[in-house]
Amino acid sequence: MTSSTGAEPRQGREGRVFDLGYQRYEGQREGRWRARKAVYVDGLRIALGIGRGGRAKILPWLFVAVAIAVGLIFALNAGAVDRVVGEGAAEAADLPSHSDYYAFGAILLFLFAAVVGPELLCPDRHNRVINLYLVRPITSIDYVAARFLAFLTIMLVVAWLPQIVLLAGLAFGASQPGDYLVDNWQDIPKFLAAGAAIAVYTTSMGLAVAAFTTRRGYASVGLVGLFVISQFAAGILGEVASGATGEWLALISLSDVPLHINEIVFDTSDTLGGGQAARGLPTGVRVAAFFAFTLAAMGVLWNRYRRLTV
Amino acid sequence: MQALLQAKKLTKHYGPVVALESADFEVTDGVTGLLGSNGAGKSTAIKLFLGLLRPTSGSMEVLGVETAQDVEVRARLGYMPEHDCLPNNVSAAEFLTHMAQVSGLPPSQARSRAADTLRHVGLFEERYRPIGGYSTGMKQRVKLAQALVHDPVLILLDEPTAGLDPGGREEMLDLVRKTHTEFGISLMLSSHLMGDVERTCDRIIVLEDGRVVRQGEVTGFTEELETLFIEVDDKRQEFISALRRLGVEATEEDSAVIIPKATEGTYETISRALVESEAPLRRLGPRRHALSEIFNDAAIPAQNGQPANQETAFGVSVSSGETGE
Repeated sequence: MTSSTGAEPRQGREGRVFDLGYQRYEGQREGRWRARKAVYVDGLRIALGIGRGGRAKILPWLFVAVAIAVGLIFALNAGAVDRVVGEGAAEAADLPSHSDYYAFGAILLFLFAAVVGPELLCPDRHNRVINLYLVRPITSIDYVAARFLAFLTIMLVVAWLPQIVLLAGLAFGASQPGDYLVDNWQDIPKFLAAGAAIAVYTTSMGLAVAAFTTRRGYASVGLVGLFVISQFAAGILGEVASGATGEWLALISLSDVPLHINEIVFDTSDTLGGGQAARGLPTGVRVAAFFAFTLAAMGVLWNRYRRLTV
Repeated sequence: MQALLQAKKLTKHYGPVVALESADFEVTDGVTGLLGSNGAGKSTAIKLFLGLLRPTSGSMEVLGVETAQDVEVRARLGYMPEHDCLPNNVSAAEFLTHMAQVSGLPPSQARSRAADTLRHVGLFEERYRPIGGYSTGMKQRVKLAQALVHDPVLILLDEPTAGLDPGGREEMLDLVRKTHTEFGISLMLSSHLMGDVERTCDRIIVLEDGRVVRQGEVTGFTEELETLFIEVDDKRQEFISALRRLGVEATEEDSAVIIPKATEGTYETISRALVESEAPLRRLGPRRHALSEIFNDAAIPAQNGQPANQETAFGVSVSSGETGE
């Protein structure tokens, strides 16, 4: 019976829950490319702590924040000088700008690689999750290549973002932002190239060291130790061995290897640390050293995973 | 029936150590047990099929292709390792979604399959908790779920009950059996526990020192030697004498009469012996052999034309503590 108003609740429409049981998957299987992409995306998430607990997010985001803050401080500093003293005063005073950022930014990137990089490789081997990857449609080389690209992506962002912030700050701080960009557009490819060099090198070194241990802490200490000791050794050897020998020996300062590219690209000479003596070498040698060290680290990483057994 | 896995003269040596030697066997639809003591070659066989190891000689095929040559075939395989293999800091739902994608499923399908699979293994309510906080039994379920999530044709399980308490073990074996009977997925499980194999498997392959020493249906292993268990209230010795006179081998065990290797005709003979001896029957029933008894019985002929090997039969057996679950 229904009321004339039609306001009475409808009868006989009770919800039912059906247990459909196990359903076979008849959808698309995207094979090896999907597997590689999944490992890549997972690498991005691990590096940024996404989908992990709060503690996993603290360090990566702290590094990102500090890097951006430095870019912002550079920009505000230049903007403040220009406003107080007058247009162009910052440039005349040679205040820190794009070419100088990586003198500090590289240290931040090295620490980022030492602290966050091992997170992408070590726990999978420590917890033996790697066993579950290698029984899926993916090889150990697919796996490590996807992880490498994921970390490189993050490193590029961390390397470039402060420079972009700095560029934006300097442009908007100028009275004519458009004119500033027209006058200084060459800085863009320069900082992209210098940032990419540091990101590729640091990613390769960080992951190569991480491939030797299942413990993140050991990998972090190992990478920092490698950089510090090699810089210290290069400084001493560069001083002791005079002339060309000293210049060549100074190349072993691992933390300075990508900064040679920065100095060459920006045509400056104020970012190297302990390996300053290597500045006397021809540009081609310094560039070749960068590629040699980077490719060697990639080769070590590739070899460690090629021979990986479960 | 097409073989899901096939090993032909499969051999794997680690230097001087022989892990697998000229192993010939097939795994077809159903649940197959790979039985053997530690070091018998079970894990090596599984890793060879998964393409994680290269054979020293011989060949193996999975779903008609060699895994070492085509990794894509692994999208249709599942693997549950013996040891811990789970991350601690992610939830089961997140982990399974990721693993489904690594097996080739698109993200949206991977998410729904992960939730469904966790429901099937009884972890639906716990799926958003970090795996690090799970009990051993729950972790075993996650391990099984990650092997199931992409709906494989065949799952290889390496010692699936390792480290579980009796309750957890029962649940895991039920889940393994259910995976075949309800989900329609074939499984091959390795175990050194005969009870596990006997309870869950349709077929059995016995390895010892890297060699296949027996293979066949589990029912065949147990039924071929069906034993009758008879209790009489009185005149037990007369009954046994009558049985022996009529040509039936009978032994006395505690208060019962045991007739091994019974056949259909044995029942008729028992009836006649009861009448002749006038022994009042209290109870008669079959007592199926446990696999452990079979492997300790050196008189059993080998399956598939392989010669019986007394040393092997004893060697494969494990302690009674392991079979008495």
